[in-house]
Amino acid sequence: MEQGSEVFRALADPTRRALLDTLFSRDGQTLNELCEKFTEMTRFGVMKHLSVLAEADLVVTARQGRTKRHYLNPVPIEQVANRWISKYAARFTAALVALDDQVATAQKEETLRRAEPA
Amino acid sequence: MSLPAHVYQVYIAASPEQVWAAITESEWTRRYFHATSFVAPPRPEKPYRTVTPDGRPAIEGMIDEMEPPAGGSPGRFVQTWHTLYDPDLEQEPPSRVEWTIESAADGLTLVRLVHGNLDQSPLTWENVRNGWVWILDSMKTLLETGHPLPRVRQDESVAEVLNS
Repeated sequence: MEQGSEVFRALADPTRRALLDTLFSRDGQTLNELCEKFTEMTRFGVMKHLSVLAEADLVVTARQGRTKRHYLNPVPIEQVANRWISKYAARFTAALVALDDQVATAQKEETLRRAEPA
Repeated sequence: MSLPAHVYQVYIAASPEQVWAAITESEWTRRYFHATSFVAPPRPEKPYRTVTPDGRPAIEGMIDEMEPPAGGSPGRFVQTWHTLYDPDLEQEPPSRVEWTIESAADGLTLVRLVHGNLDQSPLTWENVRNGWVWILDSMKTLLETGHPLPRVRQDESVAEVLNS
């Protein structure tokens, strides 16, 4: 699958967006806490939506003892956005330019070092 | 109300060793972490400090754990986090940043970042919330596009296909 497709699929559903909104306003909620806020849905329904969000890497879980908490992970959204805004291209270029500069500096230093009489 | 930790993860097309270097070596941090670098190479159970290019202090703390990824077992880099770049944030007590670097597949690494112990640091909590997203994406972009070796290999294989 094309990179990012899971993100679009996950975000296409209003309930899943509402789940992300809930985690944005309070991160690190348990399944029980989330179920209390989505009473129109079964526990199984909430779990299913969470698993789609987890596949897209938009929700990550962390265990605290026996408690499993859910966290909003906005990194994939940033990546999707960067695909179409100039920021990505700018950074891409910046990284390569920085690398070229480093190589050039290293070569210059090497040349100078060799030019020095031992 | 207690403040939850920030938990992020990102998959990077690089080896765990490359990602480890990007997190722990100044030559790399300088290129994606707001140009900051370690004053001295970080060592386990020792204090550390990072600075901006003009030498102003950025972050200081202790390296609580420093276990590089090896033989399939995940790497762990755990640091306490005391912000020095902002006078208001500086008033808040140190928090805790845990990096876990784990091989996800051949040439693919899962990086997980947990920034916790932020209960007494609401300003830091707010400040780093989006900050980490940018840092992680920036690190991914650098490792995937700015590193010469994988790109050269990729270009060579494309050239082979074109010439055959």
